[in-house]
Amino acid sequence: MRSLKTVALLAAAALTLTACGGGDGGEAAGDGKVKLRFSYWGSDARQKLTEQAIAAFEKKNPNIDVVGEFSDWPSYYESLATKVAANDAPDVMTLEIRGLAEYSSRGALADLTGKVNVADLDQTVLATGSFDGKQYAIPTGVNVFAMFVNKPVLDKAGEKLPDDTSWTWDDYVKLSEKITKAGDGSTFGTEYTFNQVYLSMFAAQRGEKFYDNGKIGITPETIKAWWATFDQLIKTKGSPDAAKMAEIAAAGVEQSLIGTNKGAMGMWWSNQLGTLSKVSGSELQMLRLPKAEGASTHGMFLQPAMHWTISSKTERSAEAQKFVDFLVNDPEATGILLSDRGLPVNSKVLASVKDKLPPADQQILTFVESVKSELAQAEVPPKGGSKMEDIVRRYSEAVTSGQQTPDEAATKLLEEANAAIAG
Amino acid sequence: MATVSSRNPVLYRRRVSRGAKHLMLIGFGLVMLYPLLWMISSSLKPEELIFREPGLLPSKITFDNYTEGWTALAHPFSYYLWNSAVITALSVVGNLVACSLAAYSFARLNFPLKKLWFALMLGTIMLPFHVVIVPQYIVFSQLDMINTIWPLILPKFLAHDSFFIFLMVQFIRTLPRELDEAASIDGAGYWRTFFRVILPLCTPALATTAIFTFIWTWNDFFSQLLYLNNPDNFTVPVALRTFLDSSGESSWGPMFAMSIIALGPIFGFFLAGQKYLIRGMATTGLK
Amino acid sequence: MVDSLSLKPEAAAPAHAPAVKRGRGRPQPPRGSLRSRREAWAAHLFLVPWFLGLFLITIGPIVASLYLSFTDYSLLDEAKWVGLDNYVTLFTEDPRFWTSLKVTTIYVVVSVPLQLGFALGLALLLDRGLRGLSFYRSIYYLPSLLGGSVAIAILWRKIFGADGLVNAVLAIFGIQGTSYVNNPDTALGTLILLHVWTFGAPMVIFLAGLRQIPGSYYEAASIDGAGTLQQFKSITLPLLTPIIFFNLVLEVIKSFQSFTQSFIVSNGTGGPTDSTLFYTLYLYTKGFKDYEMGYASALAWVLVIIIAGLTGVNFLASKYWVFYGDSK
Repeated sequence: MRSLKTVALLAAAALTLTACGGGDGGEAAGDGKVKLRFSYWGSDARQKLTEQAIAAFEKKNPNIDVVGEFSDWPSYYESLATKVAANDAPDVMTLEIRGLAEYSSRGALADLTGKVNVADLDQTVLATGSFDGKQYAIPTGVNVFAMFVNKPVLDKAGEKLPDDTSWTWDDYVKLSEKITKAGDGSTFGTEYTFNQVYLSMFAAQRGEKFYDNGKIGITPETIKAWWATFDQLIKTKGSPDAAKMAEIAAAGVEQSLIGTNKGAMGMWWSNQLGTLSKVSGSELQMLRLPKAEGASTHGMFLQPAMHWTISSKTERSAEAQKFVDFLVNDPEATGILLSDRGLPVNSKVLASVKDKLPPADQQILTFVESVKSELAQAEVPPKGGSKMEDIVRRYSEAVTSGQQTPDEAATKLLEEANAAIAG
Repeated sequence: MATVSSRNPVLYRRRVSRGAKHLMLIGFGLVMLYPLLWMISSSLKPEELIFREPGLLPSKITFDNYTEGWTALAHPFSYYLWNSAVITALSVVGNLVACSLAAYSFARLNFPLKKLWFALMLGTIMLPFHVVIVPQYIVFSQLDMINTIWPLILPKFLAHDSFFIFLMVQFIRTLPRELDEAASIDGAGYWRTFFRVILPLCTPALATTAIFTFIWTWNDFFSQLLYLNNPDNFTVPVALRTFLDSSGESSWGPMFAMSIIALGPIFGFFLAGQKYLIRGMATTGLK
Repeated sequence: MVDSLSLKPEAAAPAHAPAVKRGRGRPQPPRGSLRSRREAWAAHLFLVPWFLGLFLITIGPIVASLYLSFTDYSLLDEAKWVGLDNYVTLFTEDPRFWTSLKVTTIYVVVSVPLQLGFALGLALLLDRGLRGLSFYRSIYYLPSLLGGSVAIAILWRKIFGADGLVNAVLAIFGIQGTSYVNNPDTALGTLILLHVWTFGAPMVIFLAGLRQIPGSYYEAASIDGAGTLQQFKSITLPLLTPIIFFNLVLEVIKSFQSFTQSFIVSNGTGGPTDSTLFYTLYLYTKGFKDYEMGYASALAWVLVIIIAGLTGVNFLASKYWVFYGDSK
């Protein structure tokens, strides 16, 4: 008898679980306002700006109460996916480019085609938020991946700024070596990164695409050539050794070589310029990446910093669309947010906030305008693409630390990468 | 010579060995504390110097990080301290009550299927947290408790943390049975025995439970982030992480400064609690 | 003389006498008697909160995760039943599963005994007989307060990084060290040290346990002339076994699930080259970064079986070395 009761209780508990529908149907705040949930990640500074923008929106739309659901970056997808899985997704969600395909291909996002005014947006950038002809996501702004140069460190080594329209990977390695040699052993020519975008651009210079028709379009030769640069940098001491480099990469922006005035060069997303300038206190220059010998392009593109999306399960689509429209088009919103989520891609907005941007962003803007004609469209990782960063980093670590041969690692990397996007 | 050595060599040797012990404990303590000292020193440096000047001694001392960190977020930092304090205090009470009740039952009473229940109790802590997050969130969302403190404290009042049940079981089992029997002969029921005999003798275990619950709840980050996602409900660990942004600019100085401040309450609680920690049978005069 | 000494504490402390038979403290009332029914009734009353918790919030999620381990579940759409597929893949086609298992096993096997030994040693040292003990106890507990803090990654690099404290000391002797945190050969070692460094929790439990030993036992023993070591062997150690056992069981369970430290120190990657890929970190990556929660659940249940097995062995073995005050 007793055990029967136990089983019944267990079953009841399991039942409450599986019957997990519902959610908070059309929840209205106590004061008759419509409650809109909006999830985003970031730092204390971004949280403040976002709360200001929300307040401005609520002032214009007194019947809507926007509740910001904030998280730090490392926990963002964990908490967001939990809520989506529990049928409790926020109405408006911020996603970055790698999450887009994961969410849209599984039906978690609402189609925004024609629902939000996108007329003034840069159309090539806008295209990154579109899948199968449906606009699931609106970019918040863009970044560009570039070579940063710490001018005082370069000057101290007695070297001149390279001509970035013509320099090659060889030039870059040699210059790094010279800078290290000129120093007292505590400064380095460069710091390298395993950022997947670096590999993407390196491949683009050789005419290969990272994602090509549902497969990885990069050849093993390209990957090995890419790793060879790291190897040369380490051997010539143009950069620190693998272990130290891994440490620096893990420590983040503030403790990078450029940021601590211990390195002359390094590749970063443009939105790091402000932080790096601040922590180093030095003048930083932005350059195009070096090119492969004889390449016709630098492989540069504008990468959306984040995207606004709306949950496909929302019962407040009209309000959610209104809010996204406000964030994308309203001068008041963009006047508050400025370039916090990337340089604005809305031409009207950009014109209106241009003068208000901090000096670092002015510098990025000037750089972007000078390379505008060379920019390609950003690649959108397919479903499974969110695993790629980890795969690239893992095999690169194995090669630079000497645990695997480049041949072996390149084959395995491609195998694992192809399997990741096949599923 | 003989007279010198006869001046109580035992006492002398004991003093030397005591001195050596102190020296060892202090030296070792410094090694243990190095990271903390570094953090304190960093919290006193101007922010841009934290990573540029790696040394332990700041070349310039400033309290900017403290004033800035205190006011950097939507609310002053005291607001988050208060939020954390409420949740932590309730958790401590919950664990003390619920876990000691369950522990007494497991340690002293006989009932059918006891071994099975005990195994299940221990089994529940073997499943990694990450695979139960989603179902647990669903349960609390069914109970309509999202964005309240219930998901954080209800489990404590329902003896969800087997660690403490097992801990108290082990402590109760070190107590001689004669105590219960004596109480029973005096006519005490189970409740009285538990309350008058067992609990007072378990002070160290209760203190341990209180201290650990306090610390673990105070530092628990993810469930507080998940269930209290509105910035108005944020607690200390969640607030601390908002100082850091791996994709953008982090406020290391304020983060270090507020981390030091956040250590205050837990350290204070530990100091207060350790008095009870050492008030075991050894000092209760039990023969 | 020696013989009688080693027997003496037992005479002084009849309650703890190493039991050959681990019976209950008194003759059991016959099943179904009024007394046993009353006792069972009381036992269930004491357990009411726990039962409520078990059925309301604990069992459901556990059953759900077991079910999910047989599905393909991305979190973002419906779970699809795939039978044993996840388990088969895990054992036959997933080298990272074996890597994570290996890393975790090394971590547990090395760090648990080290940490417990350390904690016990310090607890004995800090138990009594020295001035300023509460001060030392507090100082030694501080690292454990920091153990899970976000700042720990930075602090740890300050010690074991390329320009860290260890290398600064080595440099005095003319040795040039590497970045221990980010060298695949030493990264796991630093995490083991980090675990040992946060020995505060078991230390506190040991301290509390030591205080459960009645001082009269020691008095009796020292009247009989037993030395410090003798007292430790025949009083302290046997009476502390339930607490040692507790710490052992719990540390094994917790260390197998160790996540936060590796997550913070390696930036959530388990790197360099998977050298700190703890089992639960891999599980987390699968579930929340790769959107394979079904697979992650299968990983979780394999871990449960491992931990449950070890805990079972621990309990069986405890019959031979753990002495309870309530046994006769």
